[in-house]
Amino acid sequence: MGADALLKLHHLHLELPNGTPLLEDVSLTVRRGDALGVVGESGSGKSLTAMSVMGLLPSLKASGSIRFEGRELLGMKDREWRRLRGVGMAMIFQDPMTAFLPVRSIGAQIDEQIRLHEPVSRREARARTVALLGRMGVPDPEAAAKRYPHQLSGGLRQRAMIAMALSCDPALLIADEPTTALDVTVQAQILTLLCEIRASGAGVMLITHDMGVVAQTCTHVAVVYSELVVEQGPVAAVMARPLHPYTQALLEAIPPLDGPRPDALPTIPGRPPAPDARPEGCVFAPRCRYVRPDCAVRPALREPEEGRRVACVLYDA
Amino acid sequence: MTILLEAKNLSKHYRLSHGETLRAVSNVSLVVHRGEALALVGESGCGKSTLGRTLIGLGAPSSGDVFFEGERISGLSDRALRRWRPRMQMVFQDSSSTFNPRRTIGDTLAEPMRIHGRTGIAERIGTLLEQVGLSSSVLSRYPHEFSGGQRQRLNIARALMLGPDLLVADEPTSALDVSVQAQIVNLLRELRNSLGVACVFISHDLAVVRQMADRIAVMYLGRIVEEGDVLAVLEAPAHPYTRALLDAVPRPDRPLPPPLKGEVPSPIKPPQGCAFHTRCPLAQPRCSQERPELDRVAEGRRVACHYPLP
Repeated sequence: MGADALLKLHHLHLELPNGTPLLEDVSLTVRRGDALGVVGESGSGKSLTAMSVMGLLPSLKASGSIRFEGRELLGMKDREWRRLRGVGMAMIFQDPMTAFLPVRSIGAQIDEQIRLHEPVSRREARARTVALLGRMGVPDPEAAAKRYPHQLSGGLRQRAMIAMALSCDPALLIADEPTTALDVTVQAQILTLLCEIRASGAGVMLITHDMGVVAQTCTHVAVVYSELVVEQGPVAAVMARPLHPYTQALLEAIPPLDGPRPDALPTIPGRPPAPDARPEGCVFAPRCRYVRPDCAVRPALREPEEGRRVACVLYDA
Repeated sequence: MTILLEAKNLSKHYRLSHGETLRAVSNVSLVVHRGEALALVGESGCGKSTLGRTLIGLGAPSSGDVFFEGERISGLSDRALRRWRPRMQMVFQDSSSTFNPRRTIGDTLAEPMRIHGRTGIAERIGTLLEQVGLSSSVLSRYPHEFSGGQRQRLNIARALMLGPDLLVADEPTSALDVSVQAQIVNLLRELRNSLGVACVFISHDLAVVRQMADRIAVMYLGRIVEEGDVLAVLEAPAHPYTRALLDAVPRPDRPLPPPLKGEVPSPIKPPQGCAFHTRCPLAQPRCSQERPELDRVAEGRRVACHYPLP
């Protein structure tokens, strides 16, 4: 750990001004060349985690620590944030239609970002924009740069947004459900692109609800439930043998694409608790098939195996 | 099996400004048997939703015919169609926008029966709520008080109020989390078994389709390119597009094969010949000139490809 960690969240807590806890005790690490998948269902806090790393939630009370390249981000000033965002880390969102300004061409918006951070001429900036769009697989990048967001298809818009995020060569790319709005064949193209970005040495944090997407693009995974990390570890190990009952249930609920067709899919009874009504003990206990008396105390993350952590009493020695 | 609904050479074209025509559905022929579930799959803009709506008379076809129990229902006036409406109902994807936010659930559920002058409304509501797994305490509540999964159950209950023979469900699980999706998929399967209602199930998710449907029709740019038993088609797709769709599903157990190049062309100017030839990894010169017909290749299996996969 330590030196090679690009991003390190340590016991991060996030609270609403009225004291309702949102994130509780989130600890995550992203290394260079790694991709961490943060996976969970709606309302699990996965986007909150991403946004707090980018400093996009100034009105929430945060404690703990977020370190990026060894530097503490919590409590940083707006001016410092502006220098970091785009250059150190960049974010892409689910819906590129709303992330781009509709009244300017996408090329102009990418040029602007480059010129904001680096002293280059308009012409140089445009040349870099065109080269970037080309690298992202946009056909005829020169013409595409002159187009407005609504003139591009969903897949091309998402490529343009990734180009914008990569324009200042950030060390960390945060992607919040980047393929959820896309068709599967286009999603496959974008996932391949994300794999290439990771392979080129950047760190990637991918927020998604889709276990399949995590398996395809990530090296590590953190499963969040009710704003808590319940399990984390290397992707292959977690997919092959999930430890936490929630991870197990989540994987079982996906209908199979081959083999026998079950009469009924396994489901998870009940639903996640609201942030202000979380149980005292394990947050998943009310829905868990293995629940037992000692679940009444909130379980900390344990490390039953090298590199794997799980918040569940089942793994006490 | 008896045929419940049949479409013959159905097309739905939209006239746009500048004299252009958007060919949403072109020359589709299909049947839905009594009690069966047929899945329409494809990417956005392939015409699956338009086809689903046109089948049950939500919008008249540009050409072609639809028969319900052998009687022609396409081209009927709205008034004449009314007699058929209780027999076929629709479940929409977004359960938050299909309920009137100002009306109670009880009021909304009763409406279809009131419109069609049925009696015994309270009893019917009670039966259906039980079938979709909700208690009658929901009746005095408003749509916003429910979770997405519960609202989708209510949406299904409403569609079943009149005891239809056919349900057209447009992406009924797409807006749901995977654990809730599994509940709704199970519910729809149970209801199909217990009520014998046929279902046209529109989806882009092949795993959900495999779980829910008996047969599958894969669409590309307004046409059916492959059709057959769902397990057989997904086990060994014969059309290169079906193969590509299946390969593109990210799965925990194997890496993604190289993705298809490009994106779906515009339905305003579909390519000549086979519409898929611009992206097909196996395209030959013939594919860009001659459109393949949807031909029967085996019992219950049709494929529109000059060079189908073995």
